[in-house]
Amino acid sequence: MAVTNQALVGGYQLLNYRVDRQISRGGFSIVYRAFDETGAPVAIKEYLPSSLVLRTEGDIVRASSAENLTSFRYGMKCFFEEGRALAKINHPNVVRVLNFFRANETVYMVMRYERGRTLQQQIQMRQDQMSERLVRHVFMHLLNGLREVHTHKLLHLDIKPANIYLRTDGTPVLLDFGAARQTLTSARPKLAPMYTPGFAAPEQYREPDRLGPWTDVYGVGASMFACLAAFAPQAADARVQEDHLVSAKKIWAGQYSENILEVIDWCLRLDPLERPQSVFALQKAIRDIPQTKRKLTFMGNLKKMLFSQIGA
Amino acid sequence: MRFTIFQESRKGSRKVNQDRLAYTYSRDTLMLVIADGMGGHAGGEIAAQIAVRLFIERFQQEAKPVLKNPLKFLQDTMLRAHAALGSYANQFSMLETPRTTCVCCIVQAGHAYWAHDGDSRLYLFRQGGLIGATKDHSKVQYLVDQGIIGVEEVIDHPDRNKIFSCLGGLVDPVIDLSRRTPLRNGDIVVMCTDGLWAVLDQKEMATWLTSTPILKTAPQMMMEGEKRGGPDGDNLSAIVVRWGPETLTDEPSTTITETLGLGEFETQIDQTLTLTDRKGAQRDLTDDEIEHAIQEIQSTIQKYRR
Repeated sequence: MAVTNQALVGGYQLLNYRVDRQISRGGFSIVYRAFDETGAPVAIKEYLPSSLVLRTEGDIVRASSAENLTSFRYGMKCFFEEGRALAKINHPNVVRVLNFFRANETVYMVMRYERGRTLQQQIQMRQDQMSERLVRHVFMHLLNGLREVHTHKLLHLDIKPANIYLRTDGTPVLLDFGAARQTLTSARPKLAPMYTPGFAAPEQYREPDRLGPWTDVYGVGASMFACLAAFAPQAADARVQEDHLVSAKKIWAGQYSENILEVIDWCLRLDPLERPQSVFALQKAIRDIPQTKRKLTFMGNLKKMLFSQIGA
Repeated sequence: MRFTIFQESRKGSRKVNQDRLAYTYSRDTLMLVIADGMGGHAGGEIAAQIAVRLFIERFQQEAKPVLKNPLKFLQDTMLRAHAALGSYANQFSMLETPRTTCVCCIVQAGHAYWAHDGDSRLYLFRQGGLIGATKDHSKVQYLVDQGIIGVEEVIDHPDRNKIFSCLGGLVDPVIDLSRRTPLRNGDIVVMCTDGLWAVLDQKEMATWLTSTPILKTAPQMMMEGEKRGGPDGDNLSAIVVRWGPETLTDEPSTTITETLGLGEFETQIDQTLTLTDRKGAQRDLTDDEIEHAIQEIQSTIQKYRR
């Protein structure tokens, strides 16, 4: 893309917030760090779909054509949905919305500023494998947040390490509820998203009618998988064609507890009905994992083998 | 609520279009209404217009943003429309009360409720199969029910246009109410006047509307219906709703009602949304709507602030 949207410059006064710098840029928005009137940092998300090229200079957002204006306003609905969804949730493991306002012919969402880095960065930076303790710690907390989300009859639909933020104290925050934009999948290509391959469940590609808590559960499983593997599992749409995903239980046998590996495999089942059906069910399964690795004796192994033979 | 909606009315070969139709929704409730004013009676067009207006007005008074009792709303409004037609005739000293058929459907909290009087119809399709329908208050339907004629004879029967109940008639209207019917994503509600169902049976409709985006096929279906009506073709009208988010990913057509503020309504009366009028179908947010949405989000933030 030759032309991109111009970000607001450092020092720009946006209502009672002073913009400091751009933190990140996505397909639909730019996120800035800014300071409120008390000098406290906040994160401000500016609705600015990059495909519509709406601001080449200055601060006012202008659609480049009547058609783009329609798309722009249409996408705004989805930005509102994200705001509406998050406004209701006040949970330590879910990003908190502090304010929502209109300026520069677009809309802004002010969020609590969190210090730390994304789980994605964490995975990429680490040389060694992530310890089971850390994985458990992150996901048990994260699932508390996700449970709260589901309690409000919302689905996140884009759970992946890049959307999981780790505070400096190690507690996770679930970010970016932009997948309220799932509605945009049906939109014209101009605003086309965005399911993240590897983390999106198969039903997100083909059967939106079957979305449910289990869809987010798939994303959780894929994110856990990525923590161990440092790469994403095979994309679900490809898996449906030809499943090359090797089970976590096989890959990491002996390195992690058998049960956490089983949980990952369970979350990554292609059939939505075969996954944990709720976050609670998943949490229960994780809690039930005995912390100590059980070593199988020779006899135990033999017994297990025999049972599986009989079972088959 | 998420749904895709289409409505269109075509004149056929008649001089005037006596069909009236509209849909309106609040954030949490959707209402569809069609009335077919009765030709041969004075002011069929007026009758249809009055019935549809009354439904919209009452809906906007009562749905704040939900109806307390949808079936009661349907029944009451039908009766009021009937009464309103009577008083209209009185007011203008008309010899004959204007008459109309009427079918109205409410969708609320994932359930559909409908009521009808006369021979305008509602069909509910699930995965291409018919799972709900109205039964005409017509002579031929009576004959079918009595086993005197077969279903296939209805279309050509000389009395096919005779209905024994309507709004504005001499006797009190027969109002059939549906059950509370749960909708699933992908379900398709079709409401139409006899101008359409007489030339296109429900199986054909299901074929047209299932597994292709309704905004693409419904206009084609209407065009085909008008063509089949030929030189004597009646007015034909339809409202088609596909419930739930769009699964066929080529149309930007899903209506999302959550952006409406409390007490707001979006209404389309007699407005044709077809392929050539796509922009209307995915209407822009107005400035007011943006302000409302922001206010609502801000008040939610305040409410959930600890």
